[in-house]
Amino acid sequence: MSVQNNKQAFLNGVAYPIKDDETILSFSRRIHDTQVIPTLCDDTRLEPYGSCRVCSVDVALTADGPRKVMASCHTPINEGMHIYTHSPRIEKLRKNIIELVLSDLPEHTLTNSQKQPHTEFEQVVSKSGVSEVRFKQARKSITSVPLTPNKTGDNSLCDDSHPYMRMDLSLCIDCNRCVRACDEIQGEQVLSVAGRGFDARIIKGQDVSFNESDCVSCGACAQTCPTGAISDVFRQQLASAQTDQTVEIDKIRTVCSYCGVGCNLEVSVQNNKILSIEAPKDAAVNSGHTCLKGRYAWRFYDHKDRLDSPLVKIDGKLTKVSWDHAFDYIAKRLTSIKTNHGSDAIAGISSARCTNEENYLLQKMMRAVIGTNNIDCCARVCHSPTAYGMQHSFGTGAATNSIDDLKQTEFILLIGANPTEAHPVTGAKIKQKVMKGTPLIVLDPVKTELARYANWHIQLRPGTNVAVLNMMAYFIIDAGLVDENFVSTRTEEYNDYRQAILALNIDELAAIAGVDKILVQQAAIAYANANNAMSFHGLGVTEHSQGSRAIMCIADLVMLTGNIGRQGVGMNPLRGQNNVQGAADMGCQPHQGAGYFPVAEADNIRYYQKHYQINDTSLVSTSQWPTEIGYKIPEMFNAALAGDLKALWILGEDVVQTDPNQDHVVASLANLDLLIVQEIFLSETAKMADVVLPGSTFLEKSGTFTNGERRVQKVNAAVTPKLGCKTDGEIIVDMMNALGYNQAPYDASDMLDEIAQVVPFFSGITWQNLGLDGLQWPVAKGGVDTQILHIDSFKRGLGKFHFFEFEESQEVVQNSEQFPFILTTSRNLEHYNAGTMTRRTGNEEIVSEDVLLVSYEDAKAKGITNQSQVRLFSARGEITLTAQLSDKVKQGILFTTFHFPELMINRVTGDVTDKHTKCPEYKVVAVGIEAA
Amino acid sequence: MSKNLSQLARRQGIDNTLFQQLVVTDAADKSDSLKQQRQALAKEYLMGEAVIHGAASFYDFLDDGTNSHNANKKAYVCNGSSCLCAGTQTSVKDKLVNHFGADNVGHVTCLGRCAENSAFQLSDKPSLVNFSGKDIDVLETIANDPSTQSNEHYLVQCMLAEPILTAEITDVSQYYQLFTQLFDQYEQTQLLDKLVESGLRGRGGAGFPTGIKWRSCLNESNKEKYIVCNADEGDAGAFSDRYLLEQRPHAVLFGMLMAGALTGAKTGVLYIRAEYPDAIKQTEQAINEFDALNLNNDFNFKIIKGAGAYICGEETALLRSIEGQRPVVSVRPPFPTQSGLFGCPTVVNNVETFGSLHFIFSNLANEQNSGVLKYKNLGNGKSTGSKLLSLDGAFNKPGIIEVAMGTPLTEVIKLAGGFAKTVKALHIGGPLGGVVPLSEIDKLTVDFESFAQHGFLLGHASIIGIPESMKMIDYIAHLFEFTALESCGKCYPCQIGSVRGQEMFEQAISAEQFINRELLHDLLETMQLGSLCALGGGVPLPIQNILQYFSKELAPYFSSENNHQGEQS
Repeated sequence: MSVQNNKQAFLNGVAYPIKDDETILSFSRRIHDTQVIPTLCDDTRLEPYGSCRVCSVDVALTADGPRKVMASCHTPINEGMHIYTHSPRIEKLRKNIIELVLSDLPEHTLTNSQKQPHTEFEQVVSKSGVSEVRFKQARKSITSVPLTPNKTGDNSLCDDSHPYMRMDLSLCIDCNRCVRACDEIQGEQVLSVAGRGFDARIIKGQDVSFNESDCVSCGACAQTCPTGAISDVFRQQLASAQTDQTVEIDKIRTVCSYCGVGCNLEVSVQNNKILSIEAPKDAAVNSGHTCLKGRYAWRFYDHKDRLDSPLVKIDGKLTKVSWDHAFDYIAKRLTSIKTNHGSDAIAGISSARCTNEENYLLQKMMRAVIGTNNIDCCARVCHSPTAYGMQHSFGTGAATNSIDDLKQTEFILLIGANPTEAHPVTGAKIKQKVMKGTPLIVLDPVKTELARYANWHIQLRPGTNVAVLNMMAYFIIDAGLVDENFVSTRTEEYNDYRQAILALNIDELAAIAGVDKILVQQAAIAYANANNAMSFHGLGVTEHSQGSRAIMCIADLVMLTGNIGRQGVGMNPLRGQNNVQGAADMGCQPHQGAGYFPVAEADNIRYYQKHYQINDTSLVSTSQWPTEIGYKIPEMFNAALAGDLKALWILGEDVVQTDPNQDHVVASLANLDLLIVQEIFLSETAKMADVVLPGSTFLEKSGTFTNGERRVQKVNAAVTPKLGCKTDGEIIVDMMNALGYNQAPYDASDMLDEIAQVVPFFSGITWQNLGLDGLQWPVAKGGVDTQILHIDSFKRGLGKFHFFEFEESQEVVQNSEQFPFILTTSRNLEHYNAGTMTRRTGNEEIVSEDVLLVSYEDAKAKGITNQSQVRLFSARGEITLTAQLSDKVKQGILFTTFHFPELMINRVTGDVTDKHTKCPEYKVVAVGIEAA
Repeated sequence: MSKNLSQLARRQGIDNTLFQQLVVTDAADKSDSLKQQRQALAKEYLMGEAVIHGAASFYDFLDDGTNSHNANKKAYVCNGSSCLCAGTQTSVKDKLVNHFGADNVGHVTCLGRCAENSAFQLSDKPSLVNFSGKDIDVLETIANDPSTQSNEHYLVQCMLAEPILTAEITDVSQYYQLFTQLFDQYEQTQLLDKLVESGLRGRGGAGFPTGIKWRSCLNESNKEKYIVCNADEGDAGAFSDRYLLEQRPHAVLFGMLMAGALTGAKTGVLYIRAEYPDAIKQTEQAINEFDALNLNNDFNFKIIKGAGAYICGEETALLRSIEGQRPVVSVRPPFPTQSGLFGCPTVVNNVETFGSLHFIFSNLANEQNSGVLKYKNLGNGKSTGSKLLSLDGAFNKPGIIEVAMGTPLTEVIKLAGGFAKTVKALHIGGPLGGVVPLSEIDKLTVDFESFAQHGFLLGHASIIGIPESMKMIDYIAHLFEFTALESCGKCYPCQIGSVRGQEMFEQAISAEQFINRELLHDLLETMQLGSLCALGGGVPLPIQNILQYFSKELAPYFSSENNHQGEQS
């Protein structure tokens, strides 16, 4: 929207400039006129609907001209219009409409609204001045709503079937905001209306209960409902707390800790207890939307299983000790190991769930206090190939664009990602685009939700991304659709790449990947012909033996078509964890320190030494400073098993449950002299620890998270840490001091200042200027941030083409004869990784097991029936789980999630890793299957 | 409306609409349960199950999953205003109930058999068949012999020297030659200019200039565009569109063909109400005849059959209906010419509007006597051309009359042979048109301006005679009831207001309450000013007419005027 030159309209007699595409309502809201136009059916995030008519205004073409009543929410403002928002007849009309609405609601609605208006609807009623309902013996539409049995077995109007969602149609005013939110925000269409006219009523699915419906519990309906007719258990809790006006309710804005989308959350707190979480409407990232994890899966924070004291293993048993005791104990043991075996016998695994400040501190402790580069984080097992590959192609290992660019894009290429489950808010945004007609290519072995809507779903065999991406490149080059100008001015090594691509045997590749080459050709040509195409990818690209190479193949396609360096294009990894971008940015990598400086280069060593105040007499002296690249996570396990690694510090990561080949991990940890685990629950890994330090949840700490679009956002503590716990930042600072390094007490703002000194792309960030919506790095001094990377040139200068031949994974080469099926794994919507958090919430009631998807063909051949138990086995081990017959997977392919570690799915997964980054190949496991 | 649903519907195209699937699955043998069928549809159309259920439950003739629905009955009795005024329906219903049983008799609002009344529909035959007049007397024969056809007869008269809409089409091949000739000789824009010059205005009731509408559609840059013929003639008392589709379908198709050529649309959709089975049959046959001509034209026709919902006559609701959405009224802008069917630029016009096109474009080269000139010269300059009137059984010679715009209403009544019974008012222009007392008739001429000027509405120009015996209090209750039944339920003034109005009058009739005049005034004003579309916004007009012209008859029902009525104390 831009202000049109000199165009203006009159609001209650005063002239104001108008903008293109404004409605009378949005115009009046922008002016902030004291006379606010009331509405009931409007939600700024939804299309104008025009059902309540309460926003009606008088409109004239001249000041004294004839006036016409128009609904302001869907009438465009035009030059010279005179708008009267509160003329006597308009005020009367509003009163009369609201009286009609009240005539169909319980009689106490009016008195409640007059006494203590809480809901949006009650506030509009209260301001309207309606004093009575004049209609006598008015029939109520609720009398036509069928009753259904509730949880206590009584026939009721209230639907309480669901763990979270609630519905009570006696409060409903038929504004349809819920129906529209379900469609226009989440894109699920679980809600609609049955019947017509007066008796029209909101339904779920084919008029079933919330629990029986396909509701994904995003809560968008509950958040937009102006009356509370659709609500949830937490909002109801908040509403009843609001009636007690003696105890204040605080609203704290923070950032969700579940995935890399980085949704902002607004936490309602009373007496240090959380009542409810909502999504702030003004948040740049999520505009009032979030998913059931962010909105509802937070009760783990005060779960009875929370650790509440440091534990030290005494006589083989974890025993509660004081913090001082724990720090002393660790300090003595670490010092002894360091003395006897050297600094490199100690390693740390940081957590992408923790803040930037905490990650920065842990790597600083390992490097500047212990003296080793043995620091890694869980990016290793997810997006390390993205960072590696994009650095090699472009120079920066991060998303080139912002999620907001979806608004401009005209084409979407989605590779190996299932965002409607794993990145729900971004997934919903993509789904909205695609439903409205933006073409979509999905490259995925599984028929995901978005694949259903895709114009081209290339359902390749797991592990063949490089083959199909090369096929796409071939068809683009072959059709003469290369952006020659871009390629010649912005890239290098194209000719070699081109020759290699054109020499490929396409039929052979199509056979390898099990795809129709015509489909790939059509998709490739459509992609190349699009003006602005955006690509997204997930772990379905990275967690492969050719993970980093597939990343570079995607970068090749992006450069071939010139889809980089402007709005609506780019290459955008969907980061799995809330701060996995940040953990790497902060230097939790064995080869690069904070800000991505390679650790083995002399200049960089001096740089870090200077910033960490290292001198000849410091704890780690200049001469003791580590100069070699440290261990990656899988190397840590190998070193532990070999006896080279003696101590391991793990921050908030349950490696026993989540890393591949569990038996190997357990044996490695068991072989350590000292295992220290910072955790909120006694995880399987914590159970093996010598020392367990009780940390804090994101709801109890302050700092920053960096989301998948490089946006650094403020995390604000909503409540104080559970009694007996410390924030993870405090724990590390205390440890550093206990080890003899003088680190100032943890303060989020001070820490950020220190980071800004070390990490160049953070140089302009301060706690103050992050504001509500954060800043996207690189941030220059003064707080100028960056939405789009590589606009005029790549970070590395010219973009570099890389060609890689497809190579079959060793997992398949070695095992496919004996184990002919391929298992691939992924997340579901309801749970997060090992379920440590989500399984301690109501989400457990919604999804309570991992199931194995089996194609109908395979099920028939193996005599497997739906919901029966099956044995799944690989070269490493065997498990038993429930089969579900599905058309989401092709013959020969099996799929499961990994949220219920007791199933020990990682007993089956293997040792193959990405050649460049050692990221495990979770996505391709050669298995066998039989009915149990 | 949902943009998502419009676009998801667009993926399937006009030949595979969810709405027609709903109609088909509902009528089909139920080997699968309805629930499973709709689950499968949801999957196929990539829509939520609630969308399918929600859409289906809107219509009278689709199963909404409850036992009390109006779908799948063996017989339907017409409860439209004309049959109500004729007083025929109690006995028709009794006879139907007697034959089929009470559970097998539903209701339908207006079969367009207003010239004969006693209208009903049978659906346990191979297809739907409508009956009227004396047909009910031979119900046993009709019910036992599926091939029995109605003995319907109504007069078609023309007051013009040269008929326009009522002109016979003898040679179909020759009829369409005009189309080829026109585009051999003229540019698109020249023809559009001629259309504007003719002064043709939409015959659905709103009277929007047709040429302007088509031009704005032409100006849209989308390649995909649609022409939609609104043949959901739901106004009780109106049957002129039914007449055209049954007897002059090629005139309508020709108009749509022209619209396509002048706007760049390649598809013409006729949305015909299910209550008009013969219109559907005749139009289908005409399309086959058109296709057989092989005009070397890439314009395709498609019939969409309605399922019983008056609001589908509102153009945005009609478009949503085709898309398989709940046919609730959409906000404007965007107007259909900008974003209509499947979100594409769309011309929606009434049957009669399209029917005028052939005449208008005839003899275009003849500067003195072209169709354009002849059309323009009929009427008062603002309302041009001719108009079809539907006259109901209250007249001695009921039927269709074609008149020039501007013709005095008294002349029409004369031609219709005067009234067959004592009539106290005419309800002209459908349920949302005005109620004209006898005293005002000689002031009116048949055109948009005259009616508006006198506080009435020409609308679609159906004329129902309200007999002396009809109590106006009952007639108002009927109008509110009709609105309450047919309201889409989107905007509050109509959704709730119509029910409150109905209650107010029913309570007055049953002597439970006097009518609170101030409250009634507020209600009518709220509906008129606040409603989203012409249904809620329009029904206050006839009610206000009655309140004005029949105040004496109604006085006993108002508290302030009369407190002496023993029965209402």
